[in-house]
Amino acid sequence: MDYVDLIFAMMGLSALLSVVATALAIRSKDLLNAVIFSSVQSVAYALIYFLLLAPDIVLVYVAVSVGIYPLILILLIKKVGRYETKQNWEQLKGGDV
Amino acid sequence: MILILVLSLTYLTYLGGLGELPPNDVRLIAKNYLNLTYNPYVKSLWASSPEAVTAIVWDYRGLDTLFETVVFYGAVLAAITLFRKVAKEKDMLQSKGMSVVVKRATAIVTVAMLTVAFSTALHGHLTPGGGFQAGAIGAVAPLVMIVVFGKRYLEDRGLSYGRLLSLRNLALTGIGVTSIALFTYALIQGGFSFIFQNQGKSLSPYSFPSYTLDVPSGGILLFFNVFEFLAVLAGFTLVFLILLGSDELLSKEFEGGENGY
Repeated sequence: MDYVDLIFAMMGLSALLSVVATALAIRSKDLLNAVIFSSVQSVAYALIYFLLLAPDIVLVYVAVSVGIYPLILILLIKKVGRYETKQNWEQLKGGDV
Repeated sequence: MILILVLSLTYLTYLGGLGELPPNDVRLIAKNYLNLTYNPYVKSLWASSPEAVTAIVWDYRGLDTLFETVVFYGAVLAAITLFRKVAKEKDMLQSKGMSVVVKRATAIVTVAMLTVAFSTALHGHLTPGGGFQAGAIGAVAPLVMIVVFGKRYLEDRGLSYGRLLSLRNLALTGIGVTSIALFTYALIQGGFSFIFQNQGKSLSPYSFPSYTLDVPSGGILLFFNVFEFLAVLAGFTLVFLILLGSDELLSKEFEGGENGY
């Protein structure tokens, strides 16, 4: 196994991690957990960008996807409630927010 | 179904659907940029910057980046317009912020964040990174500070809407002035130069200084990176300042909505 193979193996592993994190983010009923899983996915993508020799993208991607974007989502969650329950959903459908 | 789709796409990629990975040859256009960016033997085409990405972003393709900056400016402007009634007001809630431990730790880390952001901007033509990257890194500092210290605390200490807006406008004016500075200089000297010109071309001998002391300074790239950093930092901070306001403040914006606007 030479150098390039190692890099590709690491890229594959982080891609797998990102798929798992994305699935968990979609399935999660606790929205705060979903945001954290989404950040994990972003970290995996940042690693892939780094291994693909794009450090310029990594610098902006980490700051935006792990710093700014989750914070704005957490702000939103603070206003709409943390848990995604059936009751909340029916309230939303009834227009009684 | 989804699994089959994913597996088939993976298999196709593995078989070489995207060509050979990694590609064995560098494409011609990339070769040209790599050859010319920091090539002191071809001074009519070089950018005097060891970092090829920044050279492409702000020199070879400078106008594209200028329009990107304008788009970002417009987006922030639209966000401010939505909250125009409350944007200029101070928050009425005096938040106590978090505990002393968190506050002290944040104060130390914030300095580090701003330092990293500044060095990313100033080294944009030497190491990976540039104006926008530095601005995005630096914008995390005011964001964390607003959450930890409370919005009113910072507003009482001079972080105001008006100042951020003027910093932002000043930085954008700086980008504009930098792009025509050499043109004006050449005009005064009775010569001729292009707008957005960095180093001398075969038609025009004028150029920005390519070395500061003995470090390559990238000429125009350094100025653009610093101004872009300030513009992005001020823009992001403005949006956070508005979005992180208390519910009482933000709901004032929507008062009387039932009766139409």
